[in-house]
Amino acid sequence: MSDPKMKFLVVDDFSTMRRIVRNLLKELGYTNVDEAEDGVVAMQKLTAGGFDFVVTDWNMPNMTGIELLKAIRANAQLSHLPVLMITAEAKKENIIEAAQAGASGYIVKPFTAATLSEKLGKIFEKMGK
Amino acid sequence: MSDFAGMEDLLQDFLIEAGDLLSGVDNKLVDLERNPNDLHLLNEIFRGFHTIKGGAGFLNAAELVTLCHLTENLFDKLRTGELKVGPEMLDVILGATAAVRSMFGDLERGLQPAAAEAQLLEQLKQALAGTLSSAPAPAKPVAAPAPAPVASVPAVSSGGNDPDWNAYYHAVTGVTPAGEGGLPEIPVTATAEDPHLNETVAAEIIQAAVGRRSTDKPGYQGPPGGRREGERQRDNSIRVDTSRLDQVLNLSGEIGLTKNRLTALRSDILNGKNDTDTLHALDLAVSQLDLLVSDLQNAVMKTRMQPVGRLFQKYPRIARDLARSLGKDVEMMLAGEDTEIDKTMIEDLSDPIIHLIRNAVDHGIELQAERMSCGKPEKSIVRLEARQEGDHIVIVVADDGRGMSAERLRAKALEKGLISDEEANTMDERQSFNLIFLPGFSTASTVSDVSGRGVGMDVVRTNIQKLNGSIEIKSVLGKGTEFVISLPLTLAILPVLLVCLEDQPFAVPLSMVREILPIEPKEVQELGGRATMVVRGEVLPIVTLAALLGWPQERVPEYGVLMQSAEQSFVLAIDSFAGREDAVIKSLDDFRPKGVAGVTTLSNGQIVLILDMKELLGGMGEQKVATRAQLLLEHRQIAAAA
Repeated sequence: MSDPKMKFLVVDDFSTMRRIVRNLLKELGYTNVDEAEDGVVAMQKLTAGGFDFVVTDWNMPNMTGIELLKAIRANAQLSHLPVLMITAEAKKENIIEAAQAGASGYIVKPFTAATLSEKLGKIFEKMGK
Repeated sequence: MSDFAGMEDLLQDFLIEAGDLLSGVDNKLVDLERNPNDLHLLNEIFRGFHTIKGGAGFLNAAELVTLCHLTENLFDKLRTGELKVGPEMLDVILGATAAVRSMFGDLERGLQPAAAEAQLLEQLKQALAGTLSSAPAPAKPVAAPAPAPVASVPAVSSGGNDPDWNAYYHAVTGVTPAGEGGLPEIPVTATAEDPHLNETVAAEIIQAAVGRRSTDKPGYQGPPGGRREGERQRDNSIRVDTSRLDQVLNLSGEIGLTKNRLTALRSDILNGKNDTDTLHALDLAVSQLDLLVSDLQNAVMKTRMQPVGRLFQKYPRIARDLARSLGKDVEMMLAGEDTEIDKTMIEDLSDPIIHLIRNAVDHGIELQAERMSCGKPEKSIVRLEARQEGDHIVIVVADDGRGMSAERLRAKALEKGLISDEEANTMDERQSFNLIFLPGFSTASTVSDVSGRGVGMDVVRTNIQKLNGSIEIKSVLGKGTEFVISLPLTLAILPVLLVCLEDQPFAVPLSMVREILPIEPKEVQELGGRATMVVRGEVLPIVTLAALLGWPQERVPEYGVLMQSAEQSFVLAIDSFAGREDAVIKSLDDFRPKGVAGVTTLSNGQIVLILDMKELLGGMGEQKVATRAQLLLEHRQIAAAA
């Protein structure tokens, strides 16, 4: 399932953070990465097609990560996409909210390439089943 | 040496972006003070700290994470209505943003920031628990000098919200400030006569807001020169909209294509093909190249342009803090933040604008009681505005304070021996206002060691002139003062007028040229031993370019160029013109003759000096203004007639 050519969309309003995530993905061998600065831009890019995986921040202006997640799940064309939520909060209620909204995975900042790889691996595993 | 080996790029990105974010937060905090229940503001500030925390985590800046985390939690409780914003809490929060900024300073120097002051963290925790005492101890960690010297000061008392600046000052310098004891009380009682900002306080406030220079203090333990390195690195990077870079790329591609076309045409022509069609095609290609190159110049210039809002962001906080320390109620209004300006100029403008704002808050705005007795609203407005006017950027710093009295300024300058009696009598209002730009001029009626040293306004003007800009003052007594800074769009290209003396062309900045007129000998009059001309009712001295340059004058000048600068207008007498041109300035690196701003190359390959009129005039005095006879070379005519 893990294909190095798969296309990622990294969504975060903080460009430094997008760059961090992009670099970590590159370390793991994924070089096909596009970026969006909030949920609204992300939805535009996603509906245009071509993406295989979404990595999104939670807290963003205009459209938050959780709203984006819900929008993806509600869109027949996109609902199959794996969505990894990134957040600085490790609060229980947040994790539950994300899981209920249909997040494929949940990762708490800061994280290393190894952690990201592990989370991605788990998601691919689930999808492969 | 650096704690961030391998992460330098990331660190730079983070600092630039997070720095902008923090300035935004600071601004919103000032707004929050006025609208403490604005949910939108609370959310935005929350998100600011949250985002900084997230980035800091990846840099392993644990202490920055801790500080942001606490502040973020506080805002979480504020936005859910669990806690309410009060003045004490706001002080703690402002203290926290200052501490975050100081940590950015550490990061900039490649150091892992140390923990924020225990007291600040304690206060944040108290605020979170809703047990913040109503009289908090000083919450300005950035302003506090290094721990060692402070510890040696016996009992640094903290009355009210203000740290005991004198004690700090004493601790740092070992000198008791001249306005001893007066300062901490001034903001509270406001009874002292004409209180003004203590330099130390003002400097601390500005430093806290700007977040640099903490290394200037004794006790700084980082590597010497480290700050500079960090700053230089930071200053060297710039964020450019990708669409602008695309445009540059696009244009350079098109120029390549046009070049190919020209190469093909060249071989055609060299091979003897010079029919009308070929020449027409050549003409077309050259004009296209012309257009593309000027488009490219514009596009490249635009990549250096940044919205001035980035610069403006930090000022409301400075104005607020300064005003508070003086017991004044000042609201800062920003306008035109989208106006774009060359990046180098943004950096060089920062200090002059801070000074003007400081001046407005300190000297311009009256004390509360005085405002009330004049029937003015209690709250005063300081307006900071930017706009583009033609090929100039105009920045206005205006206050609605007491305004300036031309008469008082003249008296002051006279008393200080800066001008003579005669000069004072002939000065108009504008010239009188401009007196404040003289070195050594200060209207503060009490001059102490730490304030009112009269440095400042002259430096402001010098800095602005270095950017090829000018500054003007408009002031109405009792209504307010307005400083109008006018700057060129870019420093790289200067529109010039080419004037000739004999056959030698010289370039003068077009920005100073008001009009060009012929010099008719019969219209030249002598006034007080100087040649003058009346232009639309205004008597203007005639200065010959030959005299300015120290050349012998061989001919009667035919034309006059009406030049206008901040200080004066005059007619520059020249022999002829060679037109106008957009000069690309090349500076003379190691060699700078007086009065020469740089050189440029004309379209025909000739090298021309660009004159710095202000510098040339600076040494002018009276002697360079010719008498009528000298100007018109009358003695020669007489000799010739005989």
